[in-house]
Amino acid sequence: MKLQNFPTPLAPLLALLCRLALGIVFFYAGIEKIIAPGEFAVAIYNYRLLPDWAVNVLAVFLPWLEVFVAAGLITGKCGRGSSLLSALLFLVFATGLTVSLIRGLDISCGCFGASKASINWLYLLRDGGLLIMSIFTLFADRGWSYFIKRD
Amino acid sequence: MKQITEIKENDRAVRFMPVVQEAAIILAAALIFALVFNFLRPSGISLFGFSPAKIASVKPTNIPQITLGEAHDLFLKNKIVFVDARDPFSFEEGHIAGAVNIYPDETALHAAGLKNKLSPETIIVTYCDGPQCPLSKETAQGLQLQGLTGVKVLINGWILWQDAGYPVARGKK
Repeated sequence: MKLQNFPTPLAPLLALLCRLALGIVFFYAGIEKIIAPGEFAVAIYNYRLLPDWAVNVLAVFLPWLEVFVAAGLITGKCGRGSSLLSALLFLVFATGLTVSLIRGLDISCGCFGASKASINWLYLLRDGGLLIMSIFTLFADRGWSYFIKRD
Repeated sequence: MKQITEIKENDRAVRFMPVVQEAAIILAAALIFALVFNFLRPSGISLFGFSPAKIASVKPTNIPQITLGEAHDLFLKNKIVFVDARDPFSFEEGHIAGAVNIYPDETALHAAGLKNKLSPETIIVTYCDGPQCPLSKETAQGLQLQGLTGVKVLINGWILWQDAGYPVARGKK
């Protein structure tokens, strides 16, 4: 095995770093929610954006989607599909946050499982940053094979 | 030149499709996995069973208290599960014999295991250190949110228990 295309050109390397960082964020977020699906369901409900019947379905599905996206981002298998989903997820989160902030809801984010802190505009900023990282990864990422050449 | 741009455009369209396909595969895999996992785990939630009334009903913050005498009585009859709400280090240094260590943040993690320990006659009693310590109440509330009933608090439990000379244990278990 040989390292190639490293450290320049810069864009693929940056994309790799973004991809790994996003992977870690999603993995952590997913696991925290899987541990306590009931509490996450309450966090979803508090956004008042979904009908009651959809709350538990999402509380069960979303954490695992995050873990699968994390696995895709870290391993590079289905890497671009994962980046696309990552970008879409952050877009959805941003929408939810914006609506709630405008409505002035005093609710906890639920971003990383149950935490008591209320949402504020900084959460939206963080989400926006992660969204930009996802989009960058989607277009600039070249996968592991671009860096590692097998003999 | 025209041909080259045409080929490039086709290429882009072809390259975009696998991305959507990959995303669809991940979505489907995650959905299947999530449903199976939720079905198999003991603390799984019912898929369409969310009701806001349920949250309202488990929210009352008044946790009943228990006195040292009552607690010790139940302890001798083996009808009590003590939950130590302090941090793991304090727990290791000493705790009520047979207690389990559940810090307030970790109630969701341990609720299922605790349920298995309970019989219809046993009650859960949380305690921590000092009359002002909030941890025992927080853990008790957390356990209630996890659907455990019959949770009580022994205020200032650790000190009272020690002073009375009742059985204590050291170490992680």
